[in-house]
Amino acid sequence: MGAHAYHKPAAEMFQVSSRLKRTINVLLGVGILSIIISLILAYTGGSHEEAGHGGHHAVNFDKTRFWADILLSNWYFLGLTLGGSVFMALAYLTNAGWSIGIRRIPEAFSTYLPYAAAGFILIFVGAAEIYHWAHEGVTDPTSANYDAIIAEKSAYLNLPFMIGRFLAFFAGWFLMTRTIRMHSLAEDAEGGFFRHKRNKTMAGIFTTFFGVTWAMSSWDFMMSLDPHWFSTIYWVNQFAGMWVAAISTIMLFSILLKRAGYIQFVNTSHYHDLGKLMFAFSIFWTYTWLSQFLLYYYANIPEEAVYYFERWAGFKFLFWLNLILHFLFPLLMFMTRDAKRTESMIIPVATIILAAHFLDLYLCIMPGTVGQAEAGIYSWKFILEVGIFAFFAGLWLMVVTKSLSKINLIPTGSPYLKESVLHNT
Amino acid sequence: MYESPYRRPLITGDDTTYKKISDDIIIPVEAKPTQWWYMGFAISLAFLALYVWAIGYLLWNGVGSWGLNKTVDWGWDITNFVWWVGIGHAGTLISAVLLLFRQKWRTAVNRSAEAMTIFAVVCAGVYPLLHAGRPWVIYWALPLPNTYGNLWANFNSPLLWDVFAISTYLTVSVVFWYVGLLPDLASVRDRAEGMKKKIYGILSFGWNGSAKAWSRFEVISLILAGLATPLVLSVHTIVSMDFATSVIPGWHTTIFPPYFVAGAVFSGFAMVLTLLIVARKAMNLENYITLNHIDVMCKIIMVTGSIVGSAYITEFFIAWYSAVEYERYAFVNRMFGEYWWSYWAMMTCNVITPQLFWSQKLRRNITAVFIISIFVNIGMWFERFVIIVTSLHRDYLPSSWAMYSPTWVEISMYMGSMGLFFTLFFLFAKYVPVIAVAEVKSIMKTSAEKYMKITMEKEKAEESAQHSHESHHA
Amino acid sequence: MSQKFVLGYFDDEETLMHAIEKINATGTKIYEVYSPFPIHGIDDLLGYKRTRLSVAAFIFGCIGFSLALFMQTFMLGLDKWRINIGGKPYLAWPDFVPVTFEGTVLITALGMVFTFMWVNEFFPGAVEKQPHPRVTEDLFVVAIKSEDAEGSDVQSIMSSNGALEVKEEEVLL
Repeated sequence: MGAHAYHKPAAEMFQVSSRLKRTINVLLGVGILSIIISLILAYTGGSHEEAGHGGHHAVNFDKTRFWADILLSNWYFLGLTLGGSVFMALAYLTNAGWSIGIRRIPEAFSTYLPYAAAGFILIFVGAAEIYHWAHEGVTDPTSANYDAIIAEKSAYLNLPFMIGRFLAFFAGWFLMTRTIRMHSLAEDAEGGFFRHKRNKTMAGIFTTFFGVTWAMSSWDFMMSLDPHWFSTIYWVNQFAGMWVAAISTIMLFSILLKRAGYIQFVNTSHYHDLGKLMFAFSIFWTYTWLSQFLLYYYANIPEEAVYYFERWAGFKFLFWLNLILHFLFPLLMFMTRDAKRTESMIIPVATIILAAHFLDLYLCIMPGTVGQAEAGIYSWKFILEVGIFAFFAGLWLMVVTKSLSKINLIPTGSPYLKESVLHNT
Repeated sequence: MYESPYRRPLITGDDTTYKKISDDIIIPVEAKPTQWWYMGFAISLAFLALYVWAIGYLLWNGVGSWGLNKTVDWGWDITNFVWWVGIGHAGTLISAVLLLFRQKWRTAVNRSAEAMTIFAVVCAGVYPLLHAGRPWVIYWALPLPNTYGNLWANFNSPLLWDVFAISTYLTVSVVFWYVGLLPDLASVRDRAEGMKKKIYGILSFGWNGSAKAWSRFEVISLILAGLATPLVLSVHTIVSMDFATSVIPGWHTTIFPPYFVAGAVFSGFAMVLTLLIVARKAMNLENYITLNHIDVMCKIIMVTGSIVGSAYITEFFIAWYSAVEYERYAFVNRMFGEYWWSYWAMMTCNVITPQLFWSQKLRRNITAVFIISIFVNIGMWFERFVIIVTSLHRDYLPSSWAMYSPTWVEISMYMGSMGLFFTLFFLFAKYVPVIAVAEVKSIMKTSAEKYMKITMEKEKAEESAQHSHESHHA
Repeated sequence: MSQKFVLGYFDDEETLMHAIEKINATGTKIYEVYSPFPIHGIDDLLGYKRTRLSVAAFIFGCIGFSLALFMQTFMLGLDKWRINIGGKPYLAWPDFVPVTFEGTVLITALGMVFTFMWVNEFFPGAVEKQPHPRVTEDLFVVAIKSEDAEGSDVQSIMSSNGALEVKEEEVLL
């Protein structure tokens, strides 16, 4: 009731602890080892003959799997990175006060973007291994690989255009998020409303740009893995998945930073708000998932239903597990108010959501690339798949924590910081 | 909860007190209606009479008096149904979603927006009822035991889902609205005398403003909001599935559920703005429904309009990308077919006009906002018309291709439904406080201009005191 | 049944809260506080436990969910008069999602509202148990049972802490 004493938090500097460094090194080490083994498997092993898809051509599934894994990890961490950026943009646009104290966390996420770009350039190298439309001769009527449906789409699905698009998207994301972060950091010394207003405008531009570019990126990198198949809600579903994962990550960072002795003003009300977002958007993810599933199931048009047939026939267990972890688990665990305010409840829920997001992307990528028979999850090779993911996780953590350690952890110049510090619901 | 005094005030004026808030909002309920009210009410009643006449004609002569044919078997009826249901989305969004998001500006507009929701859903419900052809056996749609050896309703049908969705939505909206009304009805009761006191006494259920009642009131509001939020999404989702579960190009597309919901919120907010811009003037509520409120609502219109626009583009692109000949044709036909004018009307009103709200100047210009809000309403009507009629009129078999135009019965029913809507709204504005009095009072200390100035002065004084304190030490 | 109460009238929630803190310090039990709008944090001051309405909501939700799901399963799948719809599966589970959801929401919302009315003893025509008609306008009232107030100086505490008026009165609360 206004009676709270307000002590403006002083600037804080985050130091990467030796424990965190060790964790990152372990992740990177395991990752590099997995990548090396996968590469050896991929580029020394024999190739299998694949029938179907019109023609016969040699496919080395270890190779395909390797590139599919690279795509999965890149897409996953691009999602977290951009999710953080969307979070900071939306905070400006909605005039949110409560989240200002933790704003440096999503800001730090955005510094991974150049690394993400490098990762995607890597994918273009291996594009022909996972994207059927990038195969030799699919658009050439005289070729044995000719695919009439893909040929129809080749004006959009071709590598030069896709690389061009990607570069434009990336440049936009990079410049805009950098500007937002730059203004936010400059605000610490200056105070006032000037930087805040600038960022609000930039946030509007970024959000609009993001909407369009995210939709197209989802089509380019993910939906085109099944190049005959299409769904208009696909990009919304991809957004919902990455957004709930990004919020969970912001939540975990807040808790861990607080436990490490930083941002002490963060309280259960902040957790509650982030928790409500996690809860709501895991339901929203399910909503978009169901919209796509129910409509294709119901209409039962073979060209559309085949997508679910592949996932149902070969990945039934994961199909259900995905729904349980992504929907049922957060729904039941986070239903009460207290759960969203208790660290010991939040940490498992956030972790499960992050795991479920991996699983969700796994189900998006693997059936259309390697198929059930060769999916790593049914063999020891799954260890390699997780290992490759670990590499990117380590890289992401390294970049994000490093840029977090270079700046003042508390946006002391923000005109609304007081609201965040005194946040109490 | 602390709130920065640098935010924009939500209650303007230098003399705001709890008493004044009650007076300003409740006096229109107590006083005799103005001439404007009588005039508006009379016009609404005239349209209502047209409605009754048109429906009577329809029931006497049958659905054949509409312009439908074998190819275009959904026309203005379902267009109007979806249009009205869509409008009925903003109220719940404001009172439920914005409550969960702690948006304080909600307090000034939630009451009337939710009343509007209820009236719009009533208007919507009439259409499928009449479209069924024999409304007197509409109970067949319910899962009731019957004499045909228990021929149960078909739960695989999205039309039946709709029956459940709309009736649940109406019920929950009404109870949510009414629970929120209790404190204000009690307030009217406690100011009134005689017969009026008795009536409002019965209506206010014995509300007494005790801390226990308030505590439960707040919890139940949150719970109902938590229920109404997915509910409001589900309603238009299910309406969209009336179309999207089919195999008709232009209907069968997976983005329909969220895109319909966004469109519903879009049109709902437009209608709220259209009504409130008039009501705030007519009822002298400019201190409570301020330019800042209008500004925020315009932003929501802009956002949802952009979502709708991006859904149009997604549909269009994926139709090309699908490489399915029928999908591609459906969308080209929308643009350049016989009904090209409805498509371009939709695109202009829904995609282009809301983008004008990027300009703050326009968001705070009442006339401009009013005009744009009407454009959005028109655009959203055309959207449903485009979806329904242009998708149907070109069948798979070219021999079945047909055109559709409404008869006077359909047109009168549409205009008449507005009569019903406005009649209900005028009655509401006369007998119920149009703004949630108690809720506005609860934000007075943080968000009224008068008190924000005081806080600002205090903070400045504290800051300079701290400053001089520090410089002393140095 | 009317009873004797010590009533303290206030015109501002902050002074009211301050006075309640002072009264709490004396250990006198406050019967109830009346206000025109909900006051943030007053529950803690009065020692009210958080209402368990949300538990009721969960139970109603479970009931609604089961009822709706059972209804559809029974009518389309178990009943001997189930309908064969174009040879499609009798139990098409994904199709049951919408109605199950609506049923859950409907039963929960109605159940909650009736529970709310029940615990507050609200019903059409109920007599309002309030100390003063202006508590729905701009008056904040602290009510203490006279027997509880006896022997303590709550009256003077309230008057010296911003009460407009303090008096002892027989009212129905």
